[in-house]
Amino acid sequence: MSPHQTVNIVMVEDDEGHARLIEKNIRRAGIMNDVRHFTDGGTALQYMFHDVDGPAMNGPALVLLDLNLPDMSGTDILARIKAEGSPLRRTPVVVLTTTDDKVEIQRCYDLGCNVYITKPVNYESFAQAIRQLGLFLSVIQVPDAED
Amino acid sequence: MFGVARRLGASNTSVSRFLIGAVALGFALLVAAVLASTWIVGRSREHSDWVRHSYEVEVAVARAQVLLEQSETTRRGYLLSGDPRYSEAFDGFQRQVGPAAARVVGLVSDNPRQQANIAEFRRRAAALARSQSASMALARSGRTSEAMRDFTREAAHTPLGLIRGVVARMLTEERRLLTERRAEQRRSVRLFYQMIALTGLLLVALAVITTVTLLRVTRDLQASRDEARRLNETLEDQVAERTADLTRANDEIQRFAYIVSHDLRSPLVNVMGFTSELEAAAQPLGALVDRAEAEAPAILTEEARLAAREDLPEAIGFIRTSTAKMDRLINAILKLSREGRRVIAPEPLDLAAIADGVVASMRQVIDARGAEVEVQRPLPQVASDRVGVEQILSNLVENAVKYLQPGRPGRVTVTGRQERGRVIVSVADNGRGIAPADHQRIFDLFRRAGAQDQPGEGIGLAHVRALAYRLGGAIDVDSRPGEGSTFRLTLPATLQDARA
Repeated sequence: MSPHQTVNIVMVEDDEGHARLIEKNIRRAGIMNDVRHFTDGGTALQYMFHDVDGPAMNGPALVLLDLNLPDMSGTDILARIKAEGSPLRRTPVVVLTTTDDKVEIQRCYDLGCNVYITKPVNYESFAQAIRQLGLFLSVIQVPDAED
Repeated sequence: MFGVARRLGASNTSVSRFLIGAVALGFALLVAAVLASTWIVGRSREHSDWVRHSYEVEVAVARAQVLLEQSETTRRGYLLSGDPRYSEAFDGFQRQVGPAAARVVGLVSDNPRQQANIAEFRRRAAALARSQSASMALARSGRTSEAMRDFTREAAHTPLGLIRGVVARMLTEERRLLTERRAEQRRSVRLFYQMIALTGLLLVALAVITTVTLLRVTRDLQASRDEARRLNETLEDQVAERTADLTRANDEIQRFAYIVSHDLRSPLVNVMGFTSELEAAAQPLGALVDRAEAEAPAILTEEARLAAREDLPEAIGFIRTSTAKMDRLINAILKLSREGRRVIAPEPLDLAAIADGVVASMRQVIDARGAEVEVQRPLPQVASDRVGVEQILSNLVENAVKYLQPGRPGRVTVTGRQERGRVIVSVADNGRGIAPADHQRIFDLFRRAGAQDQPGEGIGLAHVRALAYRLGGAIDVDSRPGEGSTFRLTLPATLQDARA
């Protein structure tokens, strides 16, 4: 079994439409990994850190993170994932959001975000960007979560 | 502030009028007091003269009487002793009686009662003198016994006693006059003191009133000066406070615009995305309809054909153009909001060079439209934000070249001048102009004027105005439809650095 197929994709995205479009375009790029979708930060954190199927307990994962969530800011989730001593701190996080504020981008990289992508409003560009992300996901190596 | 000043001014005029009046009244009182004193002193001297006059009359009357008595005494002496010294003395005294009486006449010419008395005195004295002279003549000629007889006869009539009575009356009259005159003198002196006292009182009252008024005015002035100083001292704080309020309000609006435009973007991504998906999904459907038409026309209904070939593409087309427009509008708001958050960095700017740069960057567009842009030198010096000024000029020149009057080659002139700490840059064109009703509206976001025959969203001038405000300036327009427009940008000659 190739390591890619064992990687779960955790998508934290409050907009169902965006989530659907992202998933569609990832699939179009040939990524068939399992995608778990959460629309709020609390549930997503619960799954990632404490669920038996979650990345903390069960194998490598990759996180797609939106910053504008209803219950908390995406940067809080990023900070929790990348915190010192967190079992997920080596888990790659791709921030995928509409915010293109320079300060916010810097902050995310400072917190340890691996990739920051601004969602283009134009759909063709958007689809293009997600497909490229998909291609990127198909080649990167993801480390196992620490025990 | 103005209310205070006006009230103070009005009270000042009335107060100064009152003070001038009071001082004038004081001087008038002093003059009156001096006049009254002069008059009273005159009166007093007159009274003293009269008193002296009474004494003179008394003295004169007494002298006349004494002379008369002495002439009588010497006559008696001569009659008794026959001593010739008495006779000489008698002649001397008798000669003097007449002039002494005449002197009294001269003194009492003002008093008819005394005139009557003195006339009686003179008559009786003359009669006495005649009988004295007769008896003396008898005695001198040795007829002493006849003389003695005559004397005794004469003495029976008591002529001297009568004369004494007259003199006593005259003296009594003069005493009476003296008493009257002294009383008058005392009255006038009393009047004088009363007048002085009254004038003094009035002056004191005037002085008190004037002083009180002056004190009150001084206190008012002091109070208003303190108030003015207080206002002046707190002015900067107030300005700073207002500025902070404005900055907060502005920041709030910027944040609001930013958040709104961001949150509007999110659903728009969905609309656009799923429209694309729909379009993609419509393609196989269209192909299917084509195939059905070719292979089995019977299964194809007219409705299905229309839906696949016309309705779906039309609907998708409208959704696409609308979302594209909405995307542009949201981007415009975002751009404005970003511009509002950009840090302004004032630096000395060469306006002419900036204007040239703007024209050069638009050279292609300007040439394509057959327009001419002239930057008239000299342009004033200004210290402001380079990017902001560039964007404003660029927008204004672009508009000037864009909205031309059909059939007339565009001519755009950029001029500038300095006016008391402010720099005014004008961009004038000979384009199609703007109707007066739209002169304000064109600066509003998404609003455009005139024929909508040029591409644009109605963002440029709103952006220009927001920028002008941020640079501490203003923008306005003067235009006549069909003749051209002049946009005037007013900037502070030196923009204070907000970061400093």
